[in-house]
Amino acid sequence: MRRRDDARLFGLPRDNFDWPLFLVASALAVLGVINLYSATSVARAALSDVYVQQVYWLVLGGILGAIVAIIDYRHYERLGYLLYALGVVLLLLVFILGKDIRGSSRWIYIGSFSFQPSEFMKLFLVIALAKYLHDDPKNEERGLVDLIVPALLAGVPVLLVLKQPDLGTALILLLTFGTVCMMMRIRWQSLLALAVATGILLPVLWTYVLKDYQKQRVLVFINPDENILGSGWHAHHARVAIGAGGVTGQGFMKGTQNQFLFLPDQHSDFPFAVFAEDWGFLGCALLVALYAFLVLWAVRTAATAKDRFGAVLAIGVGAMIFWHAFFNLGMVTGILPVVGVTLPLFSAGGSSVLTIMMGLGLLMNVSMRRFYVAPSRTPSLLR
Amino acid sequence: MSQLLVPRSDASEFRKRFRWMAFAAVLGFLAVLVRLFQLQIVRGGEYAATAHENVIRKVTLPTTRGVVRDAYGKVLASSRTSFNVHIVPGRVMPSARPKKRRGHEDPDTFPHVASVLRLNPDERAKLQARIEEACTTDEDRSPCWRPILVREDLSRDIVAELRQHPKETRGADVSTVPVRYYPGGTLGAHLLGYTREIDAELLGKHRPPGYDQLPQDEKQKLNPLSYEVGDHVGATGIERAWESYLRGQRGWEKRVVDARGRYRTGPDAERLLDAPSRQEPLPGRDLRLTVDADLTSAIEKAMRPHLAGAVVVVEVKTGRLLSLFSKPSFDPNDLSGGGGRDRVREAFSKLVTDPLRPLLDKTVSGAFQPGSTFKPFSALAALEDKIVAPEDRERCDGFLSFGRRVFHCTHVHGRVDMREAISQSCNIYFFKLAESVGMDRIARVATEFGMGQKTGIGVNPESAGRIPTRGWYALRYKGQFRIGFTLNTSIGQGATTVTPVQLALAYAAMANGGTVYTPEVVRAVETSDGAVVQDFPPRVKHKAKINPQNLARVTDALTAVVNDPKGTAYPVRDAALDVAGKTGTAQTGYVLRPGDDPKRAWYFSRDHAWFAAYAPASAPEIAVVVLVEHGGSGPTQAAPVAMQVVRDYQRLAAQRAGKAPAAHPAPKAKP
Repeated sequence: MRRRDDARLFGLPRDNFDWPLFLVASALAVLGVINLYSATSVARAALSDVYVQQVYWLVLGGILGAIVAIIDYRHYERLGYLLYALGVVLLLLVFILGKDIRGSSRWIYIGSFSFQPSEFMKLFLVIALAKYLHDDPKNEERGLVDLIVPALLAGVPVLLVLKQPDLGTALILLLTFGTVCMMMRIRWQSLLALAVATGILLPVLWTYVLKDYQKQRVLVFINPDENILGSGWHAHHARVAIGAGGVTGQGFMKGTQNQFLFLPDQHSDFPFAVFAEDWGFLGCALLVALYAFLVLWAVRTAATAKDRFGAVLAIGVGAMIFWHAFFNLGMVTGILPVVGVTLPLFSAGGSSVLTIMMGLGLLMNVSMRRFYVAPSRTPSLLR
Repeated sequence: MSQLLVPRSDASEFRKRFRWMAFAAVLGFLAVLVRLFQLQIVRGGEYAATAHENVIRKVTLPTTRGVVRDAYGKVLASSRTSFNVHIVPGRVMPSARPKKRRGHEDPDTFPHVASVLRLNPDERAKLQARIEEACTTDEDRSPCWRPILVREDLSRDIVAELRQHPKETRGADVSTVPVRYYPGGTLGAHLLGYTREIDAELLGKHRPPGYDQLPQDEKQKLNPLSYEVGDHVGATGIERAWESYLRGQRGWEKRVVDARGRYRTGPDAERLLDAPSRQEPLPGRDLRLTVDADLTSAIEKAMRPHLAGAVVVVEVKTGRLLSLFSKPSFDPNDLSGGGGRDRVREAFSKLVTDPLRPLLDKTVSGAFQPGSTFKPFSALAALEDKIVAPEDRERCDGFLSFGRRVFHCTHVHGRVDMREAISQSCNIYFFKLAESVGMDRIARVATEFGMGQKTGIGVNPESAGRIPTRGWYALRYKGQFRIGFTLNTSIGQGATTVTPVQLALAYAAMANGGTVYTPEVVRAVETSDGAVVQDFPPRVKHKAKINPQNLARVTDALTAVVNDPKGTAYPVRDAALDVAGKTGTAQTGYVLRPGDDPKRAWYFSRDHAWFAAYAPASAPEIAVVVLVEHGGSGPTQAAPVAMQVVRDYQRLAAQRAGKAPAAHPAPKAKP
């Protein structure tokens, strides 16, 4: 098959469109909206239009994702550090323009519109890391020195996000960075040294960086039944809701834990509990399978990517989705402490939806261009 | 470089990693699946039950406390509805809540609510401060949503105003609480008692730590009356003694409730209710007392000139108490929670500091020296053991010397026999009699007539009184027995004390030929629709082993007290009344201490005035005991009251002659 090999900016080979990715992502988005409808159906009036907003965000995210997918990803490679710098500036702006909500300032307000730069930072970090690895091809094993620049790239936004404070996002940034590092061939001695350093750093982190409410969540995780009415409330009622779903669920909009307001944050951090209560184990298994497919598909895309940038991009986006899904499901089911991490396409929230949709756009981008041969000409747009 | 897009780079460094990453991802999701399997399938049933428990709340359905009526059906204690108002801070004053969590809100209703509740500016400012403090946070479980009790026992027009304008008074909720109501007020309050909010001690006894986790039958055993926080329980009197009958059994109803405690209705909520979803409450049992409220009311009138005292009227042939009256009294309405906690506190602090001891039921709990009303029993002791013949005369010179002590009489009686000694209340005669009879013989007769022991009335903490013996004195005074003790005992002084109820029953026993009854105040237990559940026949406690002839001698002397021109009660005699009785003037042994208020010392050093009687003397129906505390002389202070009581008893009996006391239907076998 002869493929168009010129890298025109809008050159989109239609037959390379990644249908499985598109369909699975759409299925998740649809299920997410349906679930939000159930999650907010009886809650206070202020939440009654959350699912409608979610549709708006999905449409906007779809458009942005399409744009992201259409532009050849090598343009992002060129602009990599610039985008990264933009993200860092936005994070800094949060401290100037942000408003305090429930003890942390994460949002920037522009008129009545607000957004969370830390969400977009996840993508910018992936792009920056991809660019670094792209520019630094190596075949021999890497030592600690080789990790200094990537670690700085990740460290700056992580510290800024921790300052907000937003433990969940910092965690996702760190884990995504870690996953990308795992792509590299690193000497085992270096890995060992890293592990030891982490062991030393954790107590320091616990004592000086973590806020009391964050420590409380970890303690509750370690001893879940101690304080059901206080800080263990979320975790306890989420577990009850999931368990009450049983095999087949209580039925759409019939889950009592949700309908009678026992699930706090049911639209933001705990939509999965609502889903599990409504649809039971069968529904949950389907949902987990969809996320697993998305992640595996990202790995596959990375494996077939034609260059290092594309591969790291795909792995980065896959890692972001994986860690979001894994941490959220783990926290809601009680195998991980309660950390505010959203469930991709299920949690309500503009910035989160836009970030995931643009991430999927990047994935589509890499996937569609996996059949390229080496370009021969400069892109038409720039000619 | 001419090209803007960088050439493809070599991705071979990553080659080997992809498989491991896919593997790790699958492992992660599998862990989640295993956990879901555990939660939803292995423990699904358990969590479903927890979820069900979360939304079902058993709401208790209140029961009504039984009504207490007098022998003729007059209501003495019942329950009425008290309207209390709670406000929910976040709802009456949305503006007090933190701004950023506030969406579109209704305007404050607080100013309107405050004016409807007639809060004065001070109360209003205090309440506003409290609301603002509660609403510094408005999370789901913050005090911002917890109701505050603002007003208790509101008048009906304020309640109506609140109910007619629910929108303007949003956030102010009227709740109804049953409050005990005593139509008679202070009248007969000691017998009825009052109710109070259950205290921590009683609650702790019935609901020890861990109670909520116990199985139902264990709970039933520990807490048969199912007490809960905030319950009202009988504190004294009938209310306390008959608590288990009066209380009734709470019912319950299952309601669907959300996490904020709001009730949900509609088909979606009702489908969650499982059977049985309701248990009806059982109302408390009603009590019919033996007392006659009209007689008590008449006694109250007769006792008006006196500050403090007690009156007991008992039916001679049944031991049923027709009236128990203790003065000063209290208003049980003030103490039972009607009108709010402040009123209870205020009433209590007033009552406990009153030197006349208004909270004490003097008829049952108060032990007093009987004075000369005790003499008939000393006389009986002498006759029973044939130590003194009734015709024997003793000379009274107005005083008697024993060793270094001189004992006085009221005046010089000359040579008196037993009949005259009783009717004229000569102490010297009894001193000489006691010298030969001895203390223990007197004590035996007094004990035969039920003194020195609890009567078993079963209401209020009963005092046993004291009938001293030589043994008692030997223990008390370590072998220094003096003849003076015996002499004092014979005239009801010294260590001898009785309660008015004991004395009344002893006189009733003299009047009926020696049968001592267990006193009864409750005639029957009835259901709320009037059927008799349990009827209480008279209970004979003891038949005094007394020679009827000797008894007749003494009762003859008691008749002379009133009817012989020389009798102590002759001056207050009413020819229309056939009364036999004995006056008493008991020294109280008040010791003046330096610093005593002279007015108070004057009052408390006065003698107790007694009159114990039965009527009609020829065919006795009732025994009456009147005690006027620190009233002075028995014949002039207590005897007129007793005469008036007998007069009123006969008037009431005549009034009711046409319509007999509400007859009881035959007891039905009803649990």
